[in-house]
Amino acid sequence: MSLQLVFDALSLGGIYAIAALGIALIFGVMNLVNFAHGQFIACSVFALILPSADAVATMGLGALPAPLLIAAILAFGAGLAVAAEALVFRPLRNASPVALMVASFALGILLQNILLVAYGGRPKAVSLWPQLGSPVQVLSAQVPLLQLLVIGAVALILAGLALMLKRARVGLEMRAAAEDFDMARMLGVRANGVISGAFALSGALAAVVALVLVTQTGVADVRMGGQIMLVAFIATVVGGMGSLAGAVAAGLALGAASALLQAFLPVEARPFRDAFLYGLVILVLLFRPQGLFASVGAKPRV
Amino acid sequence: MAKLGVFDLAVRYGKLLAVKDVSFAVAEGERLFVSGPNGAGKSSLLGAICGAVRAAHGRVEMDGDILSGRAPEDIARRGLSMVPEGRRIFAGLTVRENLMIGTGQRRDRAAVADDLETVYNAFPILRERAHANAGALSGGQQQMLAISRALMTNPKLMLVDEPSLGLAPKVVDEVYERLCALQALRGLTLVIVEQSSTRAARVGGRMLLMRGGKVVADGDAAAFAAGDLLAEAYFGDPS
Repeated sequence: MSLQLVFDALSLGGIYAIAALGIALIFGVMNLVNFAHGQFIACSVFALILPSADAVATMGLGALPAPLLIAAILAFGAGLAVAAEALVFRPLRNASPVALMVASFALGILLQNILLVAYGGRPKAVSLWPQLGSPVQVLSAQVPLLQLLVIGAVALILAGLALMLKRARVGLEMRAAAEDFDMARMLGVRANGVISGAFALSGALAAVVALVLVTQTGVADVRMGGQIMLVAFIATVVGGMGSLAGAVAAGLALGAASALLQAFLPVEARPFRDAFLYGLVILVLLFRPQGLFASVGAKPRV
Repeated sequence: MAKLGVFDLAVRYGKLLAVKDVSFAVAEGERLFVSGPNGAGKSSLLGAICGAVRAAHGRVEMDGDILSGRAPEDIARRGLSMVPEGRRIFAGLTVRENLMIGTGQRRDRAAVADDLETVYNAFPILRERAHANAGALSGGQQQMLAISRALMTNPKLMLVDEPSLGLAPKVVDEVYERLCALQALRGLTLVIVEQSSTRAARVGGRMLLMRGGKVVADGDAAAFAAGDLLAEAYFGDPS
């Protein structure tokens, strides 16, 4: 197996893992599959550029120097998610999980239409950090700098998140809430704090995905969140709903499988790569319907 | 002023009236057992007091503060702690994490450390297993953990729902012995749901007897065990 393939698998899987984590975090604390997550990603992409219907985008936040830009776009993603929770999901806190899910669909469609109105439906060329496309020699492989950065960033984010969940008060509260929210509340854990925290983290993770996507593709498209949302959702199901480690593992596995299929499928079969990929998903679910890492918190609450 | 005041409290699940206009008061430092047959409304009563279950009407006061209508976390932060039926420990968290989960609102870290020492001394097994997953504890150990976890919130009033459920009699003795010792140490007010009235009599305290959602008798637990009030509560006419 070529080294190049390893980098492809890791960077693609890493992005899937980050996207899947954004969904699993929220599912863990409030049993909501947030289908608006893809639009959180799309909105974070469009926050970089100024509203217009032009084919080539003019940078807005995207014109900031890199450290500021990253901070601003993470804050934007987090803020958008927290606002969505406060305005849409909080009033529905006691509604059924199905009602919550439908609300998340509605929110996603609303956000997408807001983007359509502000930016038009045509994909736009966005040139964010084009220098990251230049290849770097790593042992025997030529790897785009971006890929290395993505792999490094994903590793850093996963380590940071794991540390936060294990060591920080808010992490402890999130894990307890994921197991038994009502019990956690009876011990004084504030429901609103935990849920807002989960949404903020999830939104910031959506912004990370947005930055990587836009740098990689050079395009801002109103529909761009949908595809990755689908993959991320599948990763959370395969990983076991509510299991954060499962979402990460399955995200990485999906990315790796995708890269491997792309490399090793016969040329005529490559256009059908996704059919093979999802075939694999179905196989996994046939043997482990509860997902690879079923969690205690995934049981529906009464 | 009573530590806990319950006034005309009612709990309804759909058409079923589980608690019917119950009123009683608990004095500071008192130990009150709530006993009665299955379906008497004991757990619903505790649930409505701690905010986990919405009351149909009536009100609950602690130290004259109205608790009714508040979120469970607000009630907990005011000093009312719950040890629920079935213990509901966080199985995927370590023993120590279970103990620390309720200390988020406490600013005095030294007092938290003292309390941790207190529960570790009361239940040495928790110190021994501090870094083990709580799910790996035995039933009795989990009950001790649930009691300790509630104590770590620094409550003034603690509700304990069926602490003897599913435990061997010897373990139940031990749980009650430590619970009473902790109560004395901390000057706690305790409300304990205990199905076995003989057990309640043995431990000692005041006892409320419930039947069909109502309080049918109220008095000294030891006197109940001797007299025939019990038989009446279980077999008599509830109306």
